Amino acid sequence: MKTRRTTLPAALIVLAALLSGTCLAKDNSREAALRAAEIARFEANVNADAAALERLLDAGLEYSHSNGKLDGKSSFIASVKDGSLDYLSTEPTIQGLRIFGDVGVIRGLAKVRVSMDGKTSEFTIGYSDVWLWKDGRWQMTEWRSTRLPDAPPK
Amino acid sequence: MENLLPLAALLLAPFAQAAGRGDEAAVRAAIEARFGAALHADIPALERLLADDLDYCSYLGTCQTKGQYIGDIESGVLKYQAITSKTDKVKLFADTAVALGRVDVTATRNGEPRSLHIAWTAVLAWRAGRWQLTTWSSTSIDPEAK
Repeated sequence: MKTRRTTLPAALIVLAALLSGTCLAKDNSREAALRAAEIARFEANVNADAAALERLLDAGLEYSHSNGKLDGKSSFIASVKDGSLDYLSTEPTIQGLRIFGDVGVIRGLAKVRVSMDGKTSEFTIGYSDVWLWKDGRWQMTEWRSTRLPDAPPK
Repeated sequence: MENLLPLAALLLAPFAQAAGRGDEAAVRAAIEARFGAALHADIPALERLLADDLDYCSYLGTCQTKGQYIGDIESGVLKYQAITSKTDKVKLFADTAVALGRVDVTATRNGEPRSLHIAWTAVLAWRAGRWQLTTWSSTSIDPEAK
């Protein structure tokens, strides 16, 4: 009986350690997947890749543009697809990435050159977005950006 | 068998805690409490309501830690005169909540008055038996805002 008493808790501790190791590995791999998804999403915007955006954006997406305009998934993809929102180039820099369970939060900066309804402008935004781990992949469910003041002339 | 009770309690604790996290209303209440604490410069309340790993990004794109944000309020660098908020949506994902809303703010920063209309996104985490703000990002939706 003595042996059982010490062995069972020890086995549970080993099991807990193995599970926490597995969780850590899962978090690391999810973090890498989240970074990759973020970069893929910026690329899909520039390439007007509607199929990629369908995979990368959550059905419940709320996309708050830096001008305060709000898009859902279908309206955002439609405007990228028909060219009324034409991302000519984006240079994102991820500044922070955190994962809370099945929710990922990214904060970053991006230099954006975009044509909206035929008017081209270039600016830098600060952004944060929220992703959900669903169906075995990250999907962006919230986007909020704010336009940063122009850098002073050198 | 009795030796296993503490271990069982340890393993089940996260589930017991999750069961008490409440619903959307609890998230909305935490957000409103946070605005109230900021307005009244209630530092102990802010300490409770803000997560230690808070990432607080203003409409200017500048980000602060919990210590920096509370420090600005405590020192009077940032003084709120009025806050009128509306939480438009709350999405709950287990121990994480994402909320969207708008807020009208009248404040001074370094003595300079500001009146802003802000759209915001917040991420809260259920920790230590309460909702804590971990991420705040905002956009000025008033083009005249400085």
